[in-house]
Amino acid sequence: MIAKSPDSDAVGFTHRYLDVDKLNKSLDKVTKDGAAYAEVRLVAYTDYSATIRDGKLERAIPGQEIGATIRVLADGAWGVHSTTDIASLEQQMNPTLKLAQSVAARRSSKDRPVSLAEVPIIEDSLHWKPKKDVRNTELSERLELLNLLGDSASGHDNVVSVTCGWHDEHIHTEFLSSEGMNRTWSFQRSLINGMVTARDGSEVVSYRTRFGGEGGLELIESCDINQLGVDAKTSALRLLKAQRAPSGKMPLIADRDLTGVYIHEALGHPCEADLVAAGDSCLDGKLGHKIGSDIVTVIDDPTIRGGYGAHPIDDEGLDTTEKCLIKNGILTEYLNHRETAAHFDLKPNAGARAQDGLHHPLVRMSNTLIHGGTHADLDELVEDLDYGVYACGSRGGQVDTGRGSFQFAAQEAWLIENGEITKPLKDVSVSGLTLQILKNVDGLTRESKLAAPGFCGKGQTVPVGDGGPIMRISEALVG
Amino acid sequence: MILLPDGALERLQAGCKTIGDRCNALDINSWEVVATQSYGHQIDIEGGKISLAAGGGEGGFGIRILDDGKFGFAYLVDVNSADTAIKSALSIARMSPSVPGFVLPSAQSAQQVSDLYDSSVVDMSSEDLLIQADDIISEVASLDKRAIVTGGGIGVSANASAIFSSEGVDAAGVTTSHGVGVQVSIEEGGQLTSSWQSKSSRSKITQANECVARAVQWANLTRDPIKVETSGNDSVVMMTSEGFSPLFSVVVPNAIRGEKLVREESFWSGHMGNNVIASDLSLVDNARVPGGRSSGARDDEGVPTRKNSLIEQGRLVGSLWSTRDAAQQIAEGRIDIATSTGSAIRSGHQSPPVSGCSNLFLTSSQKGRSYEEMLEMIEDGYIVNSVMGAHTANPTSGDFSVTTSSILRVEGGEVIGAVKQAGLSGNLANALKDGVTLGDEVRPQGSYSSGSMYLPNVLLRNGLRVNPV
Repeated sequence: MIAKSPDSDAVGFTHRYLDVDKLNKSLDKVTKDGAAYAEVRLVAYTDYSATIRDGKLERAIPGQEIGATIRVLADGAWGVHSTTDIASLEQQMNPTLKLAQSVAARRSSKDRPVSLAEVPIIEDSLHWKPKKDVRNTELSERLELLNLLGDSASGHDNVVSVTCGWHDEHIHTEFLSSEGMNRTWSFQRSLINGMVTARDGSEVVSYRTRFGGEGGLELIESCDINQLGVDAKTSALRLLKAQRAPSGKMPLIADRDLTGVYIHEALGHPCEADLVAAGDSCLDGKLGHKIGSDIVTVIDDPTIRGGYGAHPIDDEGLDTTEKCLIKNGILTEYLNHRETAAHFDLKPNAGARAQDGLHHPLVRMSNTLIHGGTHADLDELVEDLDYGVYACGSRGGQVDTGRGSFQFAAQEAWLIENGEITKPLKDVSVSGLTLQILKNVDGLTRESKLAAPGFCGKGQTVPVGDGGPIMRISEALVG
Repeated sequence: MILLPDGALERLQAGCKTIGDRCNALDINSWEVVATQSYGHQIDIEGGKISLAAGGGEGGFGIRILDDGKFGFAYLVDVNSADTAIKSALSIARMSPSVPGFVLPSAQSAQQVSDLYDSSVVDMSSEDLLIQADDIISEVASLDKRAIVTGGGIGVSANASAIFSSEGVDAAGVTTSHGVGVQVSIEEGGQLTSSWQSKSSRSKITQANECVARAVQWANLTRDPIKVETSGNDSVVMMTSEGFSPLFSVVVPNAIRGEKLVREESFWSGHMGNNVIASDLSLVDNARVPGGRSSGARDDEGVPTRKNSLIEQGRLVGSLWSTRDAAQQIAEGRIDIATSTGSAIRSGHQSPPVSGCSNLFLTSSQKGRSYEEMLEMIEDGYIVNSVMGAHTANPTSGDFSVTTSSILRVEGGEVIGAVKQAGLSGNLANALKDGVTLGDEVRPQGSYSSGSMYLPNVLLRNGLRVNPV
């Protein structure tokens, strides 16, 4: 069943798992047998996760995964086969062709056949080598950094538990296509996180913190871990005393974390062209239309090194590139893969991502940010407001792309009264409609940068980076 | 394509044995090997048509070793790299704290749970699924010409698993599943409404009509929204099983884990033996339900499963434990007595076991009410069929603040119209304390956490705020 694992000795960057000559012959054959296009994408992960709780090692998990997916396009329809059995790939090529032909046979004449936008054919290897290859990190080094986070987040009578986690991964991808694409790429991600649980009588709260991105051990070493822990503890203790948030429509100021989640949920997902093509996006037909206030410019950029959504090549073998989704309030670009680029007659912009080697690529975000504005700092955004909420830190969000309604939740918040930040609040969530609330953005601080790393689910989970400046929305529904 | 290759389970067992033999050869006395291998066919539907057909399989092995109460774990895909993984797990064990009293589960006989395998699922081909997908698309169109399936699909899988340990645990089996999910949208007059519904079963689903009909019904019910003012007070809310389960699954399974309770990380910590929810309500975790989504003869560390009563008539009486969690909390002095409740779960072969729920049932000693009866009970309130952002609920406190676009306004026991969008907030632990009425039809639902939620419609009278846009 399982043929070959990532070679534990292959800690370099040049090792290859696919037999290129054999698979190229299979790709040629399946094309001769009727495929318009076929590809093989293999992903080998070497990862390591560790968890400590209250200073004790709870678990450490070194792992290795390998998987490959064949995609065959025939008669305008896709067939897909995914497997951990790498040795079986050649045998599965023709059954996958038949699968595609079965789908095509059921299509009516009204259904538009799938076609792919033309792309440059490249043969190369591209490796984003970290300064400190995370695969060479000893467990003791990981534990030292985790304990630093745990210790700084502990040490208060009300803190009942501190759990800290680590995850690093080396991702190696090989891509072959019937068009002659032959690419290999690799990069690493590293992440450290913590959760502080605090209790006062029957009141129990938790606060999560997270730092990480694309890169090796040097990334975690660049973090002020002590401050990360102290801040998480301070926030958890503050939540114990926080009041319930007011509800209703009011001005909202969001920190970088929440600004990122907002733009990811409210705009990013509806911009994914596979959803647009499926009739499940409120941005269908809105390219070139004004959908946000003049100060709103949004990019999605997988080339931002260090961002948790960074990757050098997309999962259709295209060089990644910056996409400008909104320019001064006008919708300028969808996120595309080759199929949707052809569907909408747009230039492909390398937006295809798959969770791993066992999933087929979908249109996904990477690092999504709002550009900075003209306000100097938070104080300048607050001073104009008589009443409102300043919300910080993300507990996640969700969007109904078709209706264009979204929701995201803050970890903590404060009331704004008479131009000043006053009482701490808890359980703040914000909801709204994409096409209304983008127009309500009326203030952005100058500096824009990525916030804490995140994960995005769309049937498949992929790491993403979100962020921007501190943002003010003139009216949002706070719950 | 064949769903389940011949000899799949036997190869998995042979892999476990090979790894176990390598553990013995490396002088490791206490070890456990788990293996999973799943095979599936899947059809995706997008934009009213079948977008792709997919198939394949994935799996691997996980190794847990124990050395004087210290445990290490590693996972791998290739039996040939077992020595490397075993040595990694051993080096981790040596750095881990010892948990006195922690030993791997011993071999015990376990009675099988029926209806977890259906050969007719295994016999289904991609072509059979394509026919079912076509039927779903046609069914939606026949129910409402404006409605289309904008997303979703249909899939079958066969999941082989095995566990083999130095303590004599040696078990293996194959389960099947068949699932349908449909996102139905209706766009007309510049107004788009949609609804997601799903259904899954261990046996072959021959009729997805009910699930499809509910999706079309809710896409219709939420059209032409009316304006509703915010009252500022708590609201009476009937949550359908589909709307309630995402929130319930984030908050409640976490709260009834034994280690969460004794570590004071649950809102029910310190309340064992006390009333925590309404006195007619009970909560049971039962991994032995025939055909249950999360049923099995053994838990994920080989301990025979059982029915665990957690809350009886509103009173907290039990909690869920895995072997290690129980030993650790005793060793750390948080509890005097705790043993495995057959509640160890894993997220596949890649993780060691933790405590968690299987099939979680919320029941009432009162007569279950029909949808219509529950509607009549609402003088001034809402019906919610789905929520956005359930995963943002706080499992530690039970607080949540979510959004819904699938909500109906009820006055005088009658639905008077849909609300375009509303915020829904409150504390689930508090909302369950009194004034709760359960419906008469339990529908199993997936979850944001582990396990499956077996929930009826739920009428909540206290502690929820609805904030219409």
